[in-house]
Amino acid sequence: MSSTSQHLLLSPAELAYLHGSLSLITPGPIRPDGRSPTQFRPLTAETGILPGTNGSARICFADGTEAVVGVKAEVEKTPLSPYEFVASTEGRKDHTQKKSGSRKSKKATGDEEDISMDVDEEAAGANDKIRGSPDWVELSVEIPGLRDDDSGTVFLTSMLTEALLADGEFVKKLWINRRFHWKLYLDIILISPPLSYPLPLLSLTTHLALLATRLPRLKSEADEDPMFDDDWAAATFLYPRQDTSAKASNKSSKPSSAAAAPASRPPITLLVMAVGDNIIFDPSKEELAVADSAVAVSVAEGPASESESEPEPESIPATTTKRNLQLLSVRTIDPPSRLTPPGVPNSVNAAAWGTMTAATPTTTTAATASATEGGAAKHPDARVTETEDVVGVWKAPRGGAKFGMLGAMVAKVLEREAASPRSQGAG
Amino acid sequence: MPLDTSTYNLALLRVDGRRWNELRQQKGQLGVQPSADGSAYLEMGNTKIQCIISGPNERDLSKSTSSASTAPTSNGAGATVAVSIMIAPFATVDRKRRGRNDKRLQEMQTTIASGLAATVQGQSYGPRSTIHISLNVLSQDGSLLACLINAASLALVDAGVPMTDYLVACTAGSTSSYAAADEEADPLLDLNTQEEQELPFLTLATLGATDKVVAMVCESRVQLTRLEGMMATAADGCKGVRDFLDGVVRDKGELMVQEGAIGRGEVVSSMDLD
Repeated sequence: MSSTSQHLLLSPAELAYLHGSLSLITPGPIRPDGRSPTQFRPLTAETGILPGTNGSARICFADGTEAVVGVKAEVEKTPLSPYEFVASTEGRKDHTQKKSGSRKSKKATGDEEDISMDVDEEAAGANDKIRGSPDWVELSVEIPGLRDDDSGTVFLTSMLTEALLADGEFVKKLWINRRFHWKLYLDIILISPPLSYPLPLLSLTTHLALLATRLPRLKSEADEDPMFDDDWAAATFLYPRQDTSAKASNKSSKPSSAAAAPASRPPITLLVMAVGDNIIFDPSKEELAVADSAVAVSVAEGPASESESEPEPESIPATTTKRNLQLLSVRTIDPPSRLTPPGVPNSVNAAAWGTMTAATPTTTTAATASATEGGAAKHPDARVTETEDVVGVWKAPRGGAKFGMLGAMVAKVLEREAASPRSQGAG
Repeated sequence: MPLDTSTYNLALLRVDGRRWNELRQQKGQLGVQPSADGSAYLEMGNTKIQCIISGPNERDLSKSTSSASTAPTSNGAGATVAVSIMIAPFATVDRKRRGRNDKRLQEMQTTIASGLAATVQGQSYGPRSTIHISLNVLSQDGSLLACLINAASLALVDAGVPMTDYLVACTAGSTSSYAAADEEADPLLDLNTQEEQELPFLTLATLGATDKVVAMVCESRVQLTRLEGMMATAADGCKGVRDFLDGVVRDKGELMVQEGAIGRGEVVSSMDLD
């Protein structure tokens, strides 16, 4: 759990008002900046800003927070254990057998469809051989004014790393051959002071940087020492773009697929919060201060499943191809609302001439005596406000998110992500 | 030795094709960070720096223990300047992660803080306030200290902190590192990483276009006879940098007038914008 607490100068009355407007049911929540509940903050983004890196991106949110991510890759030798060596050679044998088998079938039928099958099987064989290790990715987060070992920074780092490594597919992209692999360093820098909880910003910027990341094209074959193409223009994207892959697999299926949209996308971590029964995306600092619960949901998108679109390639437009979304991780975040001071209802507020005097029909001497013992015994209303909600009076939320709400939040993230193909080819 | 600059004598051209007294291409921008009190982005060649200023704020005691270097202005009667440098791990060719307590960074921070403290008119803020200058190095290719000073100076203008003039800095080197070729040795202006690794060089910071030296840092061994030439070259470079920074500020001012952010003659009565 990380604490997202920062100095927030809102009084209990303001918090109560904000909470009230965010938990409205009939017109939906009214957010201070006028966004709809699932709308993100407007942002400006650019990629490829640093030619010295393999991939870089910069995102500036409208509230002024800004982050820069640089991705650097180095070739590293894979340490081979004897066991691994045996396993991988066996894998190779299997792979060659498969390949010869498919060739025979190709001769028998001589059909065009078999060529694609052959390609598929070859890819599948290669996938068996390809392995990855979580050590191949190193992620660091730098937040101004905070130490590297600050608990918040460490939590952010581990959350972003976790999203990247969750499905084990990402590290496989770094595989070169049996002896070598890429080591990827992701360095995330928050340029602006942390005005709001920076998780969505950092995640989005990392996402963009990874989309823009390119690795030099491999010239060597098999298990040779790797040799790379000097030409940066020939470098391949870590997340290959769709148009090239579509051409390679089958030319007929996608005539006008999205110009250069990658087939799969890096994971993204979204911050979602709940107020009352409302689910609100990408909360600002003020909204987070009244959150009943906040959750970070990591979602990744795999390649759109080809098998579904293949039977009738003409009937399915490119825009409605089913997106293959995967839920990677869900983490609850400790919202700063837990640390906010509670409001005092009028019933126990002496300054507001509440029921205080009426509720204590005691003599003045007795009142002063009992005041030292504690107000709770004297005023039954005080105990009520400790435990129960009074409408319009702010009380810091207690307890975690309800199971039903957690499920609803995750479902909403997946639904929303599936509905909106992000246009992130900025810059 | 990473590089042989002995070819300089053949055509009097440096490795990147510049002559001895040419600055690298520069690019500057003011107000790049809307949430900060002042910000600037400066590129000198491939050295890219973003500077963020917060303050003047009341001094935060919890932050005084951090790694920022501080220097008081106006002999302790004015605001304190606190400088912290962050070099991105991806800034260099090989990825390198630096700790916040890196000695070289600390030294650069101190140099910048004390240099700026000499320029900033901090007495209007009072001694209990601090101007936090945080410098982010996004890409690093030589003349780092000089670029940091220039970027900080530009951001201070954006923040509206009163200064007597721009604090500008530039590096200068000498073409050969040995005593034999003393006569042929040319001073060089604005070195990049390749040249810095091989040649003796110094960083000179002056107050605007004057020859008033605010800071000078020389970490390499250099013949005393060449020092004067190098300093003169660096001072000339500082003039060029000052003109460039001034141009950036004036462009920004003109843009603000055009956009209607300020009225012509309203704030800029003493400035000639034509």
